[in-house]
Amino acid sequence: MLKARGNLWQKAGISIIILLCMFLINIAIGSVYIPIDSIFHHLMGNELEKSTWVTILDTYRIPKALTAIIAGVGLSLSGLQMQSFFRNPLAGPYVLGISSGAGLGVALLILGSSAFGWTLMDGGTDLINGGVWSMVLAGSLGAILVMSMISLAAWKVKSSTTLLIIGLMFGSASGAFVNILSYFGEAEELKLYTVWTMGSLGGISGWPLFIFALITFIGLLPAIAQSKAYNAMLLGENYAKSMGININRLRWSMIISTGLMAGSATAFCGPIAFIGISVPHLVRIIFRTADHRTLLPVSALLGASFLLLCDAICQLPGSAETIPINIVSSLLGAPLVIWLILRKNFNAEF
Amino acid sequence: MEKPLYTISAQDLCIGYTRKKQEIKVHDGLNFQLLPGQLYCLLGPNGVGKSTLIKTLLGHIPALSGSIYINGKDLKKLSAEQMAKTASVVLTDRVSSGNLHVADLVALGRVPFTNWAGRLAEADLHIIAKAMEATKINYFKDKPLSEISDGQRQKAMIARALAQDGQLIILDEPTAHLDLINRHEIMQLLRTICKTENKSILVITHDLEVAIETADELWLMQCGEPLIQGSPEDLIVSGKIQHLLTSPGLYFDIHHGRVRSTYPDTVTTIHGPAALCQWFLAALYKAGLQHLGSDYEIHLFEEPFKVMVKTPTGGFEGETIRAAVDFLLMAEDERLK
Repeated sequence: MLKARGNLWQKAGISIIILLCMFLINIAIGSVYIPIDSIFHHLMGNELEKSTWVTILDTYRIPKALTAIIAGVGLSLSGLQMQSFFRNPLAGPYVLGISSGAGLGVALLILGSSAFGWTLMDGGTDLINGGVWSMVLAGSLGAILVMSMISLAAWKVKSSTTLLIIGLMFGSASGAFVNILSYFGEAEELKLYTVWTMGSLGGISGWPLFIFALITFIGLLPAIAQSKAYNAMLLGENYAKSMGININRLRWSMIISTGLMAGSATAFCGPIAFIGISVPHLVRIIFRTADHRTLLPVSALLGASFLLLCDAICQLPGSAETIPINIVSSLLGAPLVIWLILRKNFNAEF
Repeated sequence: MEKPLYTISAQDLCIGYTRKKQEIKVHDGLNFQLLPGQLYCLLGPNGVGKSTLIKTLLGHIPALSGSIYINGKDLKKLSAEQMAKTASVVLTDRVSSGNLHVADLVALGRVPFTNWAGRLAEADLHIIAKAMEATKINYFKDKPLSEISDGQRQKAMIARALAQDGQLIILDEPTAHLDLINRHEIMQLLRTICKTENKSILVITHDLEVAIETADELWLMQCGEPLIQGSPEDLIVSGKIQHLLTSPGLYFDIHHGRVRSTYPDTVTTIHGPAALCQWFLAALYKAGLQHLGSDYEIHLFEEPFKVMVKTPTGGFEGETIRAAVDFLLMAEDERLK
């Protein structure tokens, strides 16, 4: 923290360059390759020689890349806050049951449609146009429901370990409800739900994208405001208290911040695996720092870059097929983290 | 404003916990004051309430009754932030952040004083440098915590507490798990800090010998008894120090300033220099040979060391205590047959 200032700009600078590269690669690659210089032309507001490229960029690729950036920022910062607050390297954005809550909401919508007889889905399969709002709404409601129950628990219990266990229990309970619905669900709905759990960055543009960005931005503020408190938490709760840190305030700010960021990311894109738990570790291992004034911006930037990279690979460049984001984020991320852990003594890193 | 005389003063303090609306008293009727520039060592058996006392003094748990004044102000009226500016701690909690560098750890001591972003001003940097200077940790300040020894880590934690720059520093067993040299070094360091910076330092320790050497005042805490306070020397001379040793098998040896097992009256007479006799006797007790009888004669000589033993049935001459004890064990075996 003494010399962090100069270092921070250097680290943030590298991260911003990585993010810009990933952004350009992400929107260049797909079933149709669009040259980078044409993309620059388009971003500058110039006309392109092919009007189909404009359509592809404006209606599909740029919104998708922006979605990836917002979700990447939200998920990695949620994971970082959870790990720092619970002093637990295994904590991620979903330990307090956000994704299971959102999953329950979406399961009720999709799988429950036959059981309860509702047809909010505009025919059930049209997620891109009419379905996105009902999915987002259902996901948000589910996440909000679980988060409010967790908050009630957080009000009662003082120990952060107890809170962690309660979060996991809520997660299992919602998972069990989803299982009931899946067991009685129709095959087609089951497939639809399963695809939702694999995550998707597409189909969000215009107003939904703006709202997603706004919620994530609001969630970002408590995290930035508490960066000093998270630094004090490095020494554990008792030391933090002795340095005048209000643990209760920190806990609520963590719940609100991760609830907004991870909750909205899950509601809009499905439960995107791996980013939240791994990106903070990658940043710690690569940049060898424990200072949250560096960890926060760098995790955000690299989280966004990582999700952009995963999404670029999902497009299976050169083919017309795409695969779900979770497959790539886990298949690419897991070996990367294992390799880094084995190469650099991980135990001492956290 | 006149500076208050005491860093801490407590009246009729009752410490303990509240569980399910029931008060569990740990210790009652505590009265004490801490003066600036004095080093206090609190000794007492496990479970007597030393850690509870720390938490109460820091305002982390409320006192069940009684009052605490910090720098003349009521503890109950102090905010967490004001408290952090007055008192800093070194706890027994293990700090596991391997990526944290020593200098950054010390810088964390400035947390109560910096703005929301934790930006360190010139004055903060100066205090941090001074704290690292005083604790002599500059030579490893750029290392991460994962690469330093336990003794270095403890010094870094003390530097952090010093950087917090309050009037009071409380340390919970700062010398536990440390080797002999580090134990003495750390306590001497605390004494120096206490004198040069005019701070009140309260150390909880189980290390009686080091505490006697370094403390200005010892506090002896025993279950259900009032706190015994006084300079280590006075407590030894008045025999009050024996209160610490409630087990009948132990006593405080006033001649040598250390805790010993109580030796029952011996019949065996050992001739020779007193210092040598003492250690020979210790070896006899360890072997269970305290009742040798008056017909045994033992002579010890120094430079070079020599042992001569005469028994009714024979004799022994050797250069080590162990050989002599082995001989006596054999002699005893034969006698009992």
